[in-house]
Amino acid sequence: MKQLLEGSQAVAEAVRLCRPQVVAAYPITPQTHIIERLAQHVANGELAAEFINAESEFGAASIVLGAVASGARSFTATASQGLLLMTEVLYNIAGLRLPVVMICANRAVGAPINIFSDHQDSMSVRDAGWIQLYVDSNQMAVDMLIQAYRIAEVCELPVMVCMDGFLLTHTFEPVVLPSQAEVDGYLPAFQFARTLDPTQPMTIGGASEADNYQEYRIAQHHAMENSLAVIEALDAEFEQQFGRTSGGLLQGYCLDGAQIVLLGMGSLMGAVCDAVDNLRTQGEAVGALSLRCFRPFPAQALIQYLSGAQRIIVLEKAISIGGGGIVAAELRAALYQAGITTPLESVIGGLGGRDLTPEVIETIFKKRVEAETEMTNHFAPNHIITDEIDSGGKAHG
Amino acid sequence: MSSFHEIRLHGRGGQGTVSAAALLALTAFEDGFESQAFPKFGSERRGAPVEAYVRISRSVIRAHNQLYRPDAVVIQDTGLLRSEPLLRGLKPGGLIVLNATEKPADMGHSFRWISLPASQIGERHIGRPLPNTVLLGALAAGTGWVSLRALERAITDHLSSKGETVVNANIEAVREGYLFTSNEEELVL
Repeated sequence: MKQLLEGSQAVAEAVRLCRPQVVAAYPITPQTHIIERLAQHVANGELAAEFINAESEFGAASIVLGAVASGARSFTATASQGLLLMTEVLYNIAGLRLPVVMICANRAVGAPINIFSDHQDSMSVRDAGWIQLYVDSNQMAVDMLIQAYRIAEVCELPVMVCMDGFLLTHTFEPVVLPSQAEVDGYLPAFQFARTLDPTQPMTIGGASEADNYQEYRIAQHHAMENSLAVIEALDAEFEQQFGRTSGGLLQGYCLDGAQIVLLGMGSLMGAVCDAVDNLRTQGEAVGALSLRCFRPFPAQALIQYLSGAQRIIVLEKAISIGGGGIVAAELRAALYQAGITTPLESVIGGLGGRDLTPEVIETIFKKRVEAETEMTNHFAPNHIITDEIDSGGKAHG
Repeated sequence: MSSFHEIRLHGRGGQGTVSAAALLALTAFEDGFESQAFPKFGSERRGAPVEAYVRISRSVIRAHNQLYRPDAVVIQDTGLLRSEPLLRGLKPGGLIVLNATEKPADMGHSFRWISLPASQIGERHIGRPLPNTVLLGALAAGTGWVSLRALERAITDHLSSKGETVVNANIEAVREGYLFTSNEEELVL
């Protein structure tokens, strides 16, 4: 049934429908509403789970590590500094190949302290070995969360669903919530072959030295690469059952005949699609590509979508300080390896909650398209209200 | 009538500004529109200025950026007029719904104004000077963007956990806000 729900409530309902047996978390803005709602469900007897209010995010991550290793489907959520405090455990969860699912309510990282949305937190742990899926809307957050449990349990890899803090978590918008029977039909009861069992004792997380540590890391890398096909297949299966797709690895918009492609991740893609519509009416051959899966990096799929483009503009909400745009750098490497030398513009914006409006995106597009040479690591202009707005004119940053 | 409306609500922490935005979005959804509501993101404190936003549309709303050119502004506390640029970006001919006994003397000329004593009306029905649902009734009457029936249904659904007394009090409040505005003379100034 389609309902108007706050994003946090919508994903909390999706988590409940996935029947986790352990929920552990430590509160941090803007993740808190998700966890509060789940605590209510447990208290009201609507979710048969152990709810553990951890002493820190390090504790919360450690609890879900142990819970999943013991055979319990689990959930946690965090953001920003909280995710960074989990970092050591995130690597351990991934290295132990445990199917943990979490939501990162994407938020900027201090200093300066900032509670608003960008992708610096999850991008900072991109090398930890977690699958990372970025969602455009609250419907996609619900659908991706349900898919995340399937993906995690099939691949024996942890999955982080990245959902923009405030922009999605605190926004009320229409969402279709599936029924319990529908979710049960897609997501079977938790099965994990390496569950710890006192009757058959074994050790996990033992030491490994130079003679085989590298092989573990290579195996982990291969498992991530192999998950690309699983993510696509499970989205196709989801679409067959629920009639909605989350796009799998990525999703194009107006790409037919598009010479210039705007690429980005997360909730900014709504404004990007609105900007594409406006630019198309002005005769610009532009399209958009929403990258859903950043880890594993879907190089082949990206090349398929982008091989016809004459110019690519990557707009991203994180920066590798001293390096530049992260998605842009990885995409440029993938294109180079495929022998594609399409000019690629790297634009960084939306940091710490800076608003990316369709007008700002159109301004970026026009400036970059007019530029003669390929440039790297630009910064998006600010959205400035001018008197022009009052007379119905366009705003330009 | 255009089928895309953006509304900005101003109030103070504790006046139910964010709840009013959610209620308005629920009402529009009840009326068959697509809608979206979100607060001005930040740390909430009682008494501090609060803003919340609503989009109402015939088609799916994809954008998650903030809104800058509202078609209407709802002001729950006139005291905010002294410190906040409450009318910024309001479109020419846009509507201002103000919780006050009369329109301030020196305010904009190119806007429509509805002034009503929403805190007093709220206090009479709810027992506390809560203006939010009264002002939603006035907005519905002054714009026709949402129906009174849908507003009453949204209140019934949204406030059901607070009990029948609270629901009924708010429905009486919203009706009085609606009737007050419907009975006013032409409001264009």
